[in-house]
Amino acid sequence: MDGSVAQIPTSFGHELRACLRCRLVKAYYQFKESGCENCPFLEMAGDEEAVGSCTTANFSGIISIMDPGRSWAARWLRLGKFIPGVYTLAVSETLPDDYQNLCDDYAPPKHAR
Amino acid sequence: MAVWVVWRANNHWALSENSPDKPEIVNCGPVMYWSGRKKNVKKRRSGAEFLDLEAVVDSDDEEEEEEGEDDFIVHGGADLQDEDDGGRIRRRPLLQGDDEQEDVDALARKIQQRYARTSHVEYDEETTDVEQQALLPSVKDPKLWMVKCAIGHEREAAICLLQKFVDKGGELLIKSAIALDHLKGFIYLEAEKEAHVKEACKGLRNIYSMQVRLVPIKEMTDVLSVESKTVDLAPDSWVRMKTGIYKGDLAKVVYVDNVHQRVTVKLIPRVDLQAIANKLEGINVGKKKAFIPPPRLVKIEEARDLHIRVEVKRDRDTGEYMEVINGMHFKDGFLYKPVSTKSISIHSIQPTFDELEKFKTPGDEKDEDMAGLSTLFANRKKGHFMKGDAVIVVRGDLKNLMGWVEKVEEENVHINTKIKDLPKTLAVNEKELCKYFKPGDHVKVVSGVQEGATGMVVKVEGHVLIILSDTTKEDIRVFADNVVESSEVTSGITRIGDYELHDLVLLDNMSFGVIIRVESEGFQNLKDSNFPQVLKGIPERPEVVLVKLREIKSKIERRVNAQDRNMNVVSTKDVVRVVEGPCKGKQGPVQHIHRGILFIYDRHHLEHAGYICVRARSCSVVGGSTGKDKNGANLLTTRSDGLRASPNILQSPRRIPRGPQMEFGGRNRGGKGQDSLVGRTIKIRLGPFKGYRGRVTEVKDQTVRVELDSQMKIVTGNETPRYGLGSETPMHPSRTPMHPYMTPMRDPRVTSRRFRICLFNSNDGSTFVANSYVEKAFAA
Repeated sequence: MDGSVAQIPTSFGHELRACLRCRLVKAYYQFKESGCENCPFLEMAGDEEAVGSCTTANFSGIISIMDPGRSWAARWLRLGKFIPGVYTLAVSETLPDDYQNLCDDYAPPKHAR
Repeated sequence: MAVWVVWRANNHWALSENSPDKPEIVNCGPVMYWSGRKKNVKKRRSGAEFLDLEAVVDSDDEEEEEEGEDDFIVHGGADLQDEDDGGRIRRRPLLQGDDEQEDVDALARKIQQRYARTSHVEYDEETTDVEQQALLPSVKDPKLWMVKCAIGHEREAAICLLQKFVDKGGELLIKSAIALDHLKGFIYLEAEKEAHVKEACKGLRNIYSMQVRLVPIKEMTDVLSVESKTVDLAPDSWVRMKTGIYKGDLAKVVYVDNVHQRVTVKLIPRVDLQAIANKLEGINVGKKKAFIPPPRLVKIEEARDLHIRVEVKRDRDTGEYMEVINGMHFKDGFLYKPVSTKSISIHSIQPTFDELEKFKTPGDEKDEDMAGLSTLFANRKKGHFMKGDAVIVVRGDLKNLMGWVEKVEEENVHINTKIKDLPKTLAVNEKELCKYFKPGDHVKVVSGVQEGATGMVVKVEGHVLIILSDTTKEDIRVFADNVVESSEVTSGITRIGDYELHDLVLLDNMSFGVIIRVESEGFQNLKDSNFPQVLKGIPERPEVVLVKLREIKSKIERRVNAQDRNMNVVSTKDVVRVVEGPCKGKQGPVQHIHRGILFIYDRHHLEHAGYICVRARSCSVVGGSTGKDKNGANLLTTRSDGLRASPNILQSPRRIPRGPQMEFGGRNRGGKGQDSLVGRTIKIRLGPFKGYRGRVTEVKDQTVRVELDSQMKIVTGNETPRYGLGSETPMHPSRTPMHPYMTPMRDPRVTSRRFRICLFNSNDGSTFVANSYVEKAFAA
């Protein structure tokens, strides 16, 4: 664990959105203000449109991961490489193609499922 | 020679990547190893049932090395199923054999290196099930604990735990906290020890850590497997409202706000303008909450006439101008209502034709039609089109082009056309295609509200067919998509709950009736919207009631008989003729009998699905005895209508009156049997016609002709004596009625004989051959 923790969602209701790449869950405005900590290259900070297309409110279940390295659940969900934070168990949508290409360019771990 | 064996807990994914000469360890948890002589290895083979084994041989004997390895791999591979069973993971004690200590260390380092190198590659791979198996929990992993929490605060609790973890600076020893959407009142915590869980939950008001339950290792993966439902919400798709006064109403999505999870839908308003006007004028007209206005397009002029203020505003989302009445947005008479995505149901919406019709705006009919098409086609299943299907293009440049499906490729359908100038096959998007039927085709509806109905296509309007239903003889409008060509003739929906069409049922209020029609109204997905129509059992005054399924108490299945006006026994399937009352003259087979009331099916009777309900006393069995009424001219004529061709009719007047049985007996005694039977009233004792009575009209060798009393049926057939001499059996009429069935041996008293009876139905000329037993019948 490197000490950094993703922003913790400030609300628990409808405002929550999940990053379509890493499944990090934060409130909408948190994404808008500071983007996604795991996926800085999606450049969501300050770009409302990017937030709209790279995140979704359509997710199911959340998991707060305190210790991604040691957590079995994080490993099982393939979130073990991300920073501690709140994630979702499943999203039903996928990243739009152009953003997906962006991810592929950066080639870092890409979550599956 | 030493053989190094490395156990890898449940990882056969790595195995597939292995080549025997280059063992590599990929993607495994903490690695354990064990050393020993090759001999040991062989002994341990049973352990391989649970493990993937891999041998690294530290020796110069290469042959043996390979042999050992192969064995292990085979074993490991063959027992994958067992391994998947997460609870069976075993670990081996760390070390055995101190003499190899140094080598162990060296290998451990090597493995560590490999592991380190390969593990970060892990996430690059496409996840496969196999790969996921490698991540199954083991005893080394933290455990999941189930903790109670305040209902509705599951997410909050999980998030608070993370906040606490951050605030405490890593003091908290829990690894993760999980809140599932579908599990209310519980969250899961992942931790090594229960004490860690308790510690973490301390001071959080939403979590009740009094009870901490350990999740069995086998169930850990179940906790995290969440079905992800795909939600496809796009403008122009059809949805149904789930709540409020519009509950169940069809709506069309106009605008989707993904951020706020809201959609704007277009609805047919259920608005009572008068009520609004009253409200605005401050008139309080008492609250009638139960009243829901019927759906009706709103006319703005009407609102103005009622002096309701109508504002015209530009909608922020859609940019269109709308009329605003009392906070409600209208356009073209439709209501545009912003709702939460949670309050609409999106899945498998099948708008009925009528509903779509109502959504058509007079001006842009075509657009609406197309929108209807798109949703309609969205519900298509895969493999909708098959080779050979006749299709027609319904939109695009090629509209109205007809052809036959040649090949289906994903979305594109290759079609053959008759037109010569066109290339051999054309690839058309399936969304532009529609099945084609021509007038005169006989089809069956396979989905939608009218499912199960059959009929003939009488008109084709694009993708809409008008079908003349076989049962109701009414026109029904269906989408071409929902029908298949079929020669089957059904009566529409025939089942409802435990009841079938034409069943005799007992209703709540002890009345009874026949289900004559099962109507499906409203929506297909609402089960209790199917209302059976029941023709009530009130003679002479046909009454049809629409009942709810729960109002039907039971099915009346008991077979009873009734007596007609001439005291003839009427049983089901007998053809009777109504001789008095409003239905006088009608005639048909009896379908049901209950409490002296007959339900007759007359196919020429157009009302009530052909069913007529009459008192048994108002009918007479066709072909039945007229009892005292000797001349019976009327009846005889009726019967002879049907039996004109039959020679037996001539014998009818020769009917010998029942009664003087003794005389018969005397006459028959010693006779040839065959002759003695002629003119006798017999009852068929066994077989499908059991219980039917009739008169023997002719006996020839082994052939018997029997005219059944109650049915328009003439029996011809072969008589085969039950026992060689059956026909010679002398009769003892006075005794036989007592023991008609006790005839196991050739007994002089036996009167039963076995006949092969050929029944022929004078209605349609069909014949029926049955082995049956005939016995003499005596006056009741």
